[in-house]
Amino acid sequence: MNHALRRVALACLAMFLLLLVNANYVQGFEAGKLADYPGNGRTFAQQYQYQRGSIITADNQPVAQSRHVSGVYSFQRHYPAGPTYAPVTGYDTPYNKTGIEQAEDKLLEGTDPRLAVRNLIDLITGKPRKGATVQLTVNSAAQKAAYQALQATGRPGGAVAIDPSTGAILALASYPSFNPNKLATLNGKELNKADKKYLNSPQQPLLNRAINETFPPGSTFKIVTSSAAFSSGKYNPDSRYYAPTNLKLPGTTNQLINFDNSACNDGSNPAGTGTVPLIYAFTVSCNTVFGGLGMKLGGSVLRQQANAFGMNTELRIPLKVSPSKYPPVSDRAFTAYSAIGQYNDTVTPLQEAMFSAAIANRGTLMRPYLVQKVIAPNLTPLVTTQPSELSHTVSRTVAAQMARMMADVVAQPFGTAHSMVANLGGITVAGKTGTAQNGANNTGLDDAVFTGFAPVANPRIAVGVVVKGGGLGADASAPVAAEIIKAYINYLNSSAKR
Amino acid sequence: MSAVGAKGDGTGTMGTVTSPGLARVVSLPRGRRGAELIMLAFAIGVVLFAYASVGLGLNGHVPTGLATYGVLFALLMLAAHLAIRKLAPWADPLLLPLAAVLNGLGLVMIYRLQEAGRNGNPGNPISTMSASTTTFQLIWSTIGVIAFVAVLVVLREPRMLQRYTYTLGAIGLVLVALPALLPSSISAVPGTGAKIQVAVGGFSIQPAEFGKLALAVFFAGYLVAKRDVLALAGRHVLGIALPRARDMGPVLIAWAASLLVLIFESDIGTSAVFFGMFLIMLYVATQRTSWLLIGTSLFLAGAFLASQLVGHVSLRFGIWLHPFTYANVFCGAANVHVPCVPSYQLAQGMYGLGFGGILGTGLGHGQPYLTPLVQSDFIITAFGEELGLTGLMALLLIYGLIVERGLRAAVAVRDPFAKLLAGGLSFVIALQVFVIVGGVTQLIPLTGITTPFLSQGGSSLVASWMIIAVLMRISDTARRPAPQPIQDEGMTQVVRAI
Repeated sequence: MNHALRRVALACLAMFLLLLVNANYVQGFEAGKLADYPGNGRTFAQQYQYQRGSIITADNQPVAQSRHVSGVYSFQRHYPAGPTYAPVTGYDTPYNKTGIEQAEDKLLEGTDPRLAVRNLIDLITGKPRKGATVQLTVNSAAQKAAYQALQATGRPGGAVAIDPSTGAILALASYPSFNPNKLATLNGKELNKADKKYLNSPQQPLLNRAINETFPPGSTFKIVTSSAAFSSGKYNPDSRYYAPTNLKLPGTTNQLINFDNSACNDGSNPAGTGTVPLIYAFTVSCNTVFGGLGMKLGGSVLRQQANAFGMNTELRIPLKVSPSKYPPVSDRAFTAYSAIGQYNDTVTPLQEAMFSAAIANRGTLMRPYLVQKVIAPNLTPLVTTQPSELSHTVSRTVAAQMARMMADVVAQPFGTAHSMVANLGGITVAGKTGTAQNGANNTGLDDAVFTGFAPVANPRIAVGVVVKGGGLGADASAPVAAEIIKAYINYLNSSAKR
Repeated sequence: MSAVGAKGDGTGTMGTVTSPGLARVVSLPRGRRGAELIMLAFAIGVVLFAYASVGLGLNGHVPTGLATYGVLFALLMLAAHLAIRKLAPWADPLLLPLAAVLNGLGLVMIYRLQEAGRNGNPGNPISTMSASTTTFQLIWSTIGVIAFVAVLVVLREPRMLQRYTYTLGAIGLVLVALPALLPSSISAVPGTGAKIQVAVGGFSIQPAEFGKLALAVFFAGYLVAKRDVLALAGRHVLGIALPRARDMGPVLIAWAASLLVLIFESDIGTSAVFFGMFLIMLYVATQRTSWLLIGTSLFLAGAFLASQLVGHVSLRFGIWLHPFTYANVFCGAANVHVPCVPSYQLAQGMYGLGFGGILGTGLGHGQPYLTPLVQSDFIITAFGEELGLTGLMALLLIYGLIVERGLRAAVAVRDPFAKLLAGGLSFVIALQVFVIVGGVTQLIPLTGITTPFLSQGGSSLVASWMIIAVLMRISDTARRPAPQPIQDEGMTQVVRAI
């Protein structure tokens, strides 16, 4: 019987060999394929086995970090300042990502090809893979001020601040915001609950109003109209222009009126039939003057100037920005409306900031960007963003003329934004307000818009603020801009002292 | 410890058997109980280390029960070791440590699965396990070791069993058939549809596990008695020696019985293991390949027949062929309407294996609780996930060693009955491991059957310990030195006289 027993032993050996070979195949060769099959819940956990890189501000404040936790998921994402930075960082759930978390995902995750060599070294030396750190251009003082000021208005809106000389985005805030920590939870039930809550909220907290919602620019568009006029060489701030109380529009019975139906009168035009200097019309924001000027210049000239300021352009900062639009317009009446930002031209708060940034930088518009640099886990810089020019908007001369007009808006007692001076603590600001009528037959609440830069002599910051339904630009948006400017300039002063 | 060992203290005039001219150095096989103890200590060490590792992996603390469980388990194994010293001193030294490490690791994995989602550990609690499952499993281990010792006490010679061939045959049949005769409320295993247990008041046993042992004895006794007839009578057709038609009876009865088990208990695994065991013992007894061919053909025909009659079987084939199709994985979910076979369990087990990869996640770091019924049929995938391919191969090699040591005992023992019994029992372990491990690793269609020593549940554990006891008794018989001839007494006296 031993002969047969030996054969049985061989059969057993064969069975065990089959099991071993199969186990090697499944766990050794097929593992990658298995990870991609539907319904594989374990794959989710995989992405939390490594420490994802941090996101930090320009002044080294962490705004997104991966913290070690025990359990299946080794690391959990944490956002120390939650809603304040939410429109910038976005969120990181096992299912999807947004914001910088999405835009720089491969680098944060550490799987970017640029990290391949370091990963290989880590693999050999037995160190766990780590993601790279992304340093933003955002300044924590400006960002905090922007979010808190928007929050104080209690209305939906967005605010963006740019360093005019580089295009670095100093603040990018949106209100109402969301708490990314609630979406970074590793508890499926909590995640579903938070996700549902945010998605179904009528306030749309997930919408990034700073770059992904567009508003009518209102009177701030007069910056574009004026720039086009001065660039034509036929006008300067002191040129006088026809300033009626009611501007008859061709081909329609509608008339263009000024705010509160008032006359545009600097003392020389009491009847509302004469002319005023353009700088006066800009400072008090006469619609009839710029409506007429717009018709004179024509829709295509305005569109060209708008394009130069970055409208009608797809931007990535690297978050995707909804383009601000100035669609082609040929009808003269509509051109008049569009010249004062009341037709179908729409802008993002980022675009508002870009208007001022271009003027502040002597006509050269720098490409806006959010990521200053990416730092590899061993602290060597991997990528550093070099400022680049997006477009040439106006000549140096025209820029200086525009700056003079914008400074008057704030500095002159009759300027529409003069009320903000009290809040500025001596910082000089140049800007333009806008109060955009809204809704069917203009029955909606007006959107408050402000764009400006500071200090006037040596601009360091350009801001754009839109508060939806905020009413007058000077009432709702200018104070937000003032807070951001103050916070940033104070930060610069205090860090210069240090 | 042995005659050879006694040589060392031959300092005086007495006690030496080596004298010139009388070169009768009796090189007796050593019992090697010391080696067994060292290996056992190692096995206990591995188990304790794994147990501590589970706690550290789950929540960073050594489990509070380490001392209690550890000491109890160690004492249990030491008791088994002492019993062997007393009752079977010549038995194979490898079998106890191998069984101990399997039983211990099974306990550890059951503890790990029980802790999932409990006491703040990651994961979801497994609904079919309670917080005291490990305690129950430890109690079953104790009963197993008691049964092990009891077998060694009662069964002083393997031949003793031969006397009860037909009695045990009848008992075996009753045990196997019992669940089929009982109402489903008592015999059906929740969630599987298999009728294989007897559950009364929360306490359940699977009688077929013990029936397996009884039937092995019956087959061995029956085949030893009839093997000459089965082996020699018959004629040659195409070079194959065919048995006489009337000798086909036993094969047909075994075949029919296994088919009935399949049909009435919906338990393909047990049916295949029984028939496989019978066939191999028939082959070993008769050494005729024709029996293997006839048996395999019968089995395949029966399986085909069953697949036409019992939906269960064709279902298993469908799952085996397409486990990762989305519709199959989510078969029965609200949004899946196509015809599907529910492969969720197999798919999750495979995902676990893939997730574990080569080195595994480490105990407590994986998510084995995602696989339904992971503590019974799928426990090997939990090991594959947390200990990786490495751990899975180690477990398979441990099983392989048990089978090899069992077959070695079969080859070494002289008594044909014991030979056949040891061969059959060793093969049944190999077959059982092949069926279940092959099933959960997608090598063969999955059939639910317990993984010896590892799965949660008492019957299988106790029966496995009893099989090890029988194998050790047989190896003890095989390795026991032949009684010394009576002349030795005289020779010693002659030596002393010199």
